Amino acid sequence: MPDLVAGDKPGVLAEMVAKLVAGSKTMTRPDAVLQMLESREALGSTAVGPGVAFPHGRTLAVQKLTVLCARSKQGVDFDAADGEPTHLFFVLIAPPQDSGHKYIKSLAVLTDKLQDAALRDKLMAAEDYESFCAALKGN
Amino acid sequence: MHPQLQKLVALQDIEQMIAETQEQGDTLTDMGFNLSGLEALKEKAAHLAGEIEVRHLNYYRRLTRRFGHAVVPVVGNLCTGCFANIPASFVSVTNENKLQKCENCGRILYWP
Repeated sequence: MPDLVAGDKPGVLAEMVAKLVAGSKTMTRPDAVLQMLESREALGSTAVGPGVAFPHGRTLAVQKLTVLCARSKQGVDFDAADGEPTHLFFVLIAPPQDSGHKYIKSLAVLTDKLQDAALRDKLMAAEDYESFCAALKGN
Repeated sequence: MHPQLQKLVALQDIEQMIAETQEQGDTLTDMGFNLSGLEALKEKAAHLAGEIEVRHLNYYRRLTRRFGHAVVPVVGNLCTGCFANIPASFVSVTNENKLQKCENCGRILYWP
């Protein structure tokens, strides 16, 4: 769960993919993951919640559902519909053969949860990974 | 990676995204996602397909019609399409620039 350094949309996507690859033993093709996420953004911005974006999609470059949470204190212009900067990012990447659409169900749970302004504030204020996870779980 | 394989992987990812948007569009829209770029994404897929050699593209299309996914990852020396064993020689340096196919099912192989 990195604090993002990049200040624009392409930079944020690249930074998050780099973190994903660094933290994974099985993901070795960052170019393929980045290309997929960029294509997904071309379909329409994934910044849908107030200050929250959910870059997502499927690619051959992952073997199981992979999630990354990241945040940007300064906020990033992620082409949100409301024009506001995006501070929280939840990346969900699934393999092509996830036939039960597990990742879409996970996406639905997250987009619903992140409507809660108090939760978003807790996530932004979380000082470490454990407190971030605890806030997300509702503890 | 073989440059044509790189394009086939990107094409399969985009085509799956298009199919999923068409199948799950209502669900995704209900979550708040804007899917207005679908036509642009289809154009991107067509452009990418135009960069792939016709013989590879035709083979990819045939496999997609037959199996759903033409390109499959190799995991633990297995083709994840049919679970046939992939000989170790397939990953040798001399084969690095070849488009590899599973000897059992014919799917195009990708080493993630």
